[in-house]
Amino acid sequence: MRGDKDRERTFLLITIPVVALFICFNTLPLIKGFIYSFTNFKGYGSYEWVGLRNYADLFTDARVAKSYWFTFKYALLGTILTNVISLVIAMGLNSKIKGKSVLRGIYFIPNVLGGLVIGYIFSFIFTYVLPVIGQSLGIGVLSSSMLSNTSTAWIAIVIVGCWQAIAMNTIIYISGLQTVPEDIYEAGAIDGVTGWRKFKDLTFPLIIPFFGINMVLSMKNFLMVFDQIMALTKGGPSQSTESISYLIYNNGMSGGQFGFQSANAFLFFVVIVVISVVQMTVMNKKEEQL
Amino acid sequence: MMSKGNKQTRAVNWPVTILLILGCLTIFFPLYMAVMISMKQPSEMTNDISGALSLPAQWSFANFQEAMRVTDFWHSLGNSLLITVATVVLSVVIHGLAGYAIGRSMQKNKIYNIIYMFIVSGMFVPFAILMMPLVKQTAQMGVANRFGVILLYVVFYMPLNVMLYKGFLTNIPLAIEEAARVDGASTWKIYWTIIFPMMKPMHATVAVLTAMSTWNDVMTPLVIMSGTGKNTLPLAQLNFQTQFGTNYNLAFASYILALIPILLFYVICQKQIINGVVNGAVK
Amino acid sequence: MKSRIKTASSIFMAGVMISAALLSGCSTETASGKTVIEIVQYKPEAVKAFEVLEEKFNATHDDIELVIDSPNDAMTILKTRFVREDYPEIIGIGGDINYSNFLDAEMLMDISDFEGLSDIKESYLKIDKQLEFIPLDGVYAVPYMANAAGVLYNKDIFDENGWKIPETLDEFYKLCEDIQQKGMQPLYFGFRDTWTCLAPWNAIAVDVADAEICSQVNAGLATFSEGYRPVAEITKSLLKYAQPDPVAYSYNDACTAFARGESVMYVIGSYAVPQIKSVNPDINIDSFVFPASNNKEENVLNSGNDLQWSVMAGNEDKKEAIYEVLNFLYEDENIQTYLDDQSAVPCKKGDFELPSMLDGMKPYIENDRMADYQDHHYPAEMAVDAMIQTYLVDNSENATDTFLTKFDNDWARYNRDLIAKVQKFYSEHPEKLTEGGE
Repeated sequence: MRGDKDRERTFLLITIPVVALFICFNTLPLIKGFIYSFTNFKGYGSYEWVGLRNYADLFTDARVAKSYWFTFKYALLGTILTNVISLVIAMGLNSKIKGKSVLRGIYFIPNVLGGLVIGYIFSFIFTYVLPVIGQSLGIGVLSSSMLSNTSTAWIAIVIVGCWQAIAMNTIIYISGLQTVPEDIYEAGAIDGVTGWRKFKDLTFPLIIPFFGINMVLSMKNFLMVFDQIMALTKGGPSQSTESISYLIYNNGMSGGQFGFQSANAFLFFVVIVVISVVQMTVMNKKEEQL
Repeated sequence: MMSKGNKQTRAVNWPVTILLILGCLTIFFPLYMAVMISMKQPSEMTNDISGALSLPAQWSFANFQEAMRVTDFWHSLGNSLLITVATVVLSVVIHGLAGYAIGRSMQKNKIYNIIYMFIVSGMFVPFAILMMPLVKQTAQMGVANRFGVILLYVVFYMPLNVMLYKGFLTNIPLAIEEAARVDGASTWKIYWTIIFPMMKPMHATVAVLTAMSTWNDVMTPLVIMSGTGKNTLPLAQLNFQTQFGTNYNLAFASYILALIPILLFYVICQKQIINGVVNGAVK
Repeated sequence: MKSRIKTASSIFMAGVMISAALLSGCSTETASGKTVIEIVQYKPEAVKAFEVLEEKFNATHDDIELVIDSPNDAMTILKTRFVREDYPEIIGIGGDINYSNFLDAEMLMDISDFEGLSDIKESYLKIDKQLEFIPLDGVYAVPYMANAAGVLYNKDIFDENGWKIPETLDEFYKLCEDIQQKGMQPLYFGFRDTWTCLAPWNAIAVDVADAEICSQVNAGLATFSEGYRPVAEITKSLLKYAQPDPVAYSYNDACTAFARGESVMYVIGSYAVPQIKSVNPDINIDSFVFPASNNKEENVLNSGNDLQWSVMAGNEDKKEAIYEVLNFLYEDENIQTYLDDQSAVPCKKGDFELPSMLDGMKPYIENDRMADYQDHHYPAEMAVDAMIQTYLVDNSENATDTFLTKFDNDWARYNRDLIAKVQKFYSEHPEKLTEGGE
């Protein structure tokens, strides 16, 4: 049939340039990065092949280990806090309240604002506003800047990260809660199911797919954290808040470790893939069980 | 619906309403503080909390004027707009076409399945690993500039957008196209006259998602365009950070300026934005 | 059918090309037949002086167009540009590890035939020689300005209280205690910006550590655990005279605090003076050499090449224009323009008006009792500044040991390629070992 031929040709005509573009700016640099990871390239000048040395170094480099530790604890705490808080807010926003749409609109604002500028604003709060409040209330932890202390700086970044991420997750949970039919609660009410059990046995199972989306989304975003670090701490104090992305950028681009950080980036890529695959399989299993 | 009617019409849940309104304070507090500081003079910044939070002695926009000058605001805004608009338009056109071509061919042709998986798997590639080779590559190709940044965005958002378009297409029955084909329309024409308009909801989603990520992105323009004298809005904040010194009033005026465009856009298109985001995530 | 594919794809490509040309067209330089010389210099605080010089040069030259960029975070920008293989003609950087690295990567041009070199003070040219990993023939940088690091103090407060400039470490501690007794803050630090941790560190190291310690460690003749122990201990001892929580405040905060008289002294380099004066133009600042040793004779001034010019390799065809620019920069009048704006010590011989806040250091400069910054030998990716910051906030008992052990270990790791290269060179050229500066 003539039409079929035309169809196939048009599709091919569309697909080839698109794939070419994709290969050129995604696959090719990925491969190049992999190749650089076997060199001691500084980013300029000449370089030598060093075999697997960069990879061996990755596992003995305290700074790299520290950045993975920071990134993971940040992502984990961030994901948990974000999901708990946004689920609570979403249930509130989904209940019978006044000014529903206005409130929903307001709770989404942090999501549209840029992470860098928000980081700068919070940096001021942590350095100048919170200590004053802490001192006047006599709260020891708050009486000095949270950003200057190695044990609290990462929490400060979690707070800023959550402040922004909650907005998005809340909206997704709301759309999930709206799919829960009213009569389920009525049936539950007849059986005398209320409060926590109502949530655990009735609501939550029904919004599991949305829970899954939120977990994957926020985990991925938290793992890639960069803007907030740039604005709040630049990796300090004492390199305690260097995220993986920040370390790769900082040492790879300006620190003369182009080759070594390429190896780090490749490891990061593998880690992301593994985490995503695990998350998806777990979520799929959960959904199947229901 | 029926059940709603015969049940006791539930009363407004006031405790929850009040709690939620109080919760809004955590969102407004930083913004309120930023506005207050940006209106004040350095001499009003006392070391106690009122220095940051009280109303300014007199409302002055002088800081804004100065911040506009220092950060070359209009040029940065222009660059941000150009990059965002171009990326959104190209994404809707290219990714829509790609989603259509790939989505419609997948059942018939195995190769398209592989191509689809190949492109979608790009979602797992963190920018960090592409960053360094891309800096070299864009320079060698002569696109270490705004155009290069746009091109990169079109590639970066391709996996998600193609997936979204392909998913949406499964809801459009092939029969509609068959009818047009019988009338002798070419595939190209069918796409633009029938499919493209039908995918409108997805265009909105793609546009919103792409626009928001592009507008707020720091890292791509940072590594591709730094040192070229061209800034995007976030990049301008980063580059001029040290020049503000301890003049926080000036710095905050600049922050507010950087936030205003997207806030305005949000206020105007709030509904579309929220719908778009939800669609994108849930699909 | 084939032709349709071709037309369609060529239209697609043409579209891409045209938009590329349109967009990139705006960023290329004007084609006016002039030789364009671009300088990227890394001191954004000197932007005003260089704007004046740039304008003056262009007003007097028809054939050369001079462009001077003074970006923030210039080193990152410069290295990103190098990754892009996009080179300016001249770079103005400090005499530090970056210079050594660029030189090692064969990126700089030999400019030993630049006649202006004969006007440069020997000691500064020698500092650049010492920065070469492997001794090279030729000259690759012309020093422009030097700076000095030590202690800045508020002269008015000193005079009111009759305090004298300390000449030994004990006198310095005593002075700090006297200041505290008067209810004032002796020191203020901005350790949130990690690089400021190096200011006291360097000033102390020149007094109490061996000047050659880095190359000695590379040769396996010394360890930092021994050589840097006093430096580490004295640096940490300063904290009890500083404001609480110094890691919470940035360099700008510290400059502001000192400018407003919130602290009497400030351990930092002369480069901080313009920043301080911008907050309080009336402040009366003077300086003295950090007395880290109790033996007066051992205390020397910490001074290095703050700004020097290097020509990027591959510019032989533009050499004349480049030397014209360099000659212009070294005209006495233009050096004075820079000095009036920044407080620095010119590397050119001659009578220049030195900023008054360097009065306390003058004798050391005149008698050549100077030593280069130790951190000019530290590799950037080792992030010694952050290590020092970590050490300063580490309150555990064995903090010093932890820090110094890490210093030794990290040093070996980050300098691995370099150590191998240097050792290979000397095993092939044993004669250089005896004649070389290091």
